[in-house]
Amino acid sequence: MTVKTITRRRSAIMGVPWLWTVIGFLLEWVVLGLIAGHGMVETMDATLSYVPFLVLVAFGQMFVITLGNGNIDLSIPDVMSMSALVAVGVSGGGSGVSTLEGVVVGVIAGLVVGLINSIGILALKIPPIVCTLAVGLLAESATLVWSGVVTGTVPGTLMSITSARVGGIAAITWVCVPVSCLVALLLHRTKFGRSVQAIGQNIQAARLAGINVTGTITATYLLSGGLAAISGILLAAYGGLTVDLGTPYLLMSVAAVVLGGSLISGGRSNVTGIWAGALFLSFAVTLLEVLNTGVAGQDIGEGALILALLVVMRVARPRSVRTEERG
Amino acid sequence: VRHPLMLAVRSAFQPWGAASGVQRTGPERLRAWIPAIAAAALYLLIILFQHGAATYSGVTLIFSGTVPLCAAAVAEMFVISLGDIDVGIGYFIGVCNAVAAKFLVGSPVVGVFVLAGLVAAYSMLGALIEIGKMPSILATLGASFIWLGVGLAIYPTPGGAAPNWLLTIYGSNPPFVPFPILALIGLALPAAWYVRRTRGGILLRAMGSNRAAAVGAGISPLRRRIMCYALAGVFGVIGGLAVTALADSGAPSSSGSLTLLAIAAVVLGGGEFSGGIASASGAVLGAVAVELAITFLSLINVSSSYQDGVVGIILLSVMALRVMVRGRKA
Repeated sequence: MTVKTITRRRSAIMGVPWLWTVIGFLLEWVVLGLIAGHGMVETMDATLSYVPFLVLVAFGQMFVITLGNGNIDLSIPDVMSMSALVAVGVSGGGSGVSTLEGVVVGVIAGLVVGLINSIGILALKIPPIVCTLAVGLLAESATLVWSGVVTGTVPGTLMSITSARVGGIAAITWVCVPVSCLVALLLHRTKFGRSVQAIGQNIQAARLAGINVTGTITATYLLSGGLAAISGILLAAYGGLTVDLGTPYLLMSVAAVVLGGSLISGGRSNVTGIWAGALFLSFAVTLLEVLNTGVAGQDIGEGALILALLVVMRVARPRSVRTEERG
Repeated sequence: VRHPLMLAVRSAFQPWGAASGVQRTGPERLRAWIPAIAAAALYLLIILFQHGAATYSGVTLIFSGTVPLCAAAVAEMFVISLGDIDVGIGYFIGVCNAVAAKFLVGSPVVGVFVLAGLVAAYSMLGALIEIGKMPSILATLGASFIWLGVGLAIYPTPGGAAPNWLLTIYGSNPPFVPFPILALIGLALPAAWYVRRTRGGILLRAMGSNRAAAVGAGISPLRRRIMCYALAGVFGVIGGLAVTALADSGAPSSSGSLTLLAIAAVVLGGGEFSGGIASASGAVLGAVAVELAITFLSLINVSSSYQDGVVGIILLSVMALRVMVRGRKA
């Protein structure tokens, strides 16, 4: 093995975009395992039960961010709350068919928000950050108004789905594994995913290459809205329905994408990184809860961990990768 | 002259650069007037429903609540003109509010030092973003957790009080012009003067409109970013003081909602996320419009549930209007 190949291998490892996020997450896990005194497996198990909700919305956010050109979906938290409320309202606490009805209508509500987002961005040419923010505010208002009308509880069928366990691990976590594989296939191997990446790299070139830019952007916002809706409905079934259940996921979803090594400027993303980012963020929350620092300490610690990881990610990466990112 | 570099230099060095990066003629002029028209229309609506709003005390009452958001909007305007986005300004104002309510009464010297330290911390955040090549949205998000945490460490539940001098200033009744109006002018004028008339402001907009060209022309990006975030920090402190005077207590988490409203205000005021365009008066008028819309809704007894939706509709319609105006020109 020559020096050259060693250097090349070293830079190949250092070039993995989510390397430091995984190292950070492993460190958190070890520290947590040591201080919590419940063992490594139990702490992992406890955290894994709420990682899927973040992973699902982060997938949608990832596709949107990959579009580049300032695309970002700030309506995610409002869609989560709204769809959860709609699902509960439509199913009316019943079971079986009415539950399915509720879920379907809830997801449709999310898709509608995604459609409105894409109309505002494409037809009215409103910058995505303002458009999704404004549409999110509308969805939030709708949620608040409906919450006074909707009665009923989360359907038992849904609750048993989110609390089901297979092989000692939450069932929805298992489901997320094949879902992640599908999302990776969608991003890297399908026409849609490659179009999204091409638009993020150079929208003019993508258009000239004959890619259906309008259709791709619309589909991306629909996907994000749909995933946010599913995640919101599941989250309500897991942790109870509140009108602001989605709030933390606005910035958590962006954080999971960026900490996962996807470029905030678009064009390059990876699915593995989403898991790394989501695990890092979720373990940060668990760790600070276990440390019993109080609300204040928890916020400070979370902020400090995110900033520290950002610094390490940027400083520790090989020069070649950094130059590429800057351009 | 349609060369991007020429356009960038032109828009960056135009003396009026502010609300009209391109030209101050024709429909583009409308852009600068949108927030003013919106604010005036909403104020007239309020007067229609509540005639007292036209009196001296009515103006004082209605506009005094707009000052914190105006300060937040000016702070956000600096950051957005650089092409960044700040999602932590609300909680920063919250922590300034907590510090002010905790220290300014008993130990003002400590309070002033801590507030200055907070401004320094904010400018260091700018340095961190520049040196680390971080996405500003994520760095300011991380920082916002820290601001909230420090604020909650000082006051887990609302407490403290505003110093008497602050209450005296805020409650003063100057002749002819009500205090809140003076405060809004006091926020907009220095900021507008800085971004339009000073070297620092011109360099800031040059950086925001074409970073590569600006750096090539010898502008230090690090120094500009530090300066930009320091100014945002100063206006954050002013916002914190205004919140303290209004609430007469420290309640760090209640200022969190200012963040999104401040972004909305800057956009209403003519700001562009691509950077390079800065209008302090636009940001202040945008903030006033947002606050007046909320006041109007509560005046006609609309449930507070509709507030956010109305802000959303205003945002969407103003943006659509602006694009239509621009589209006709192009």
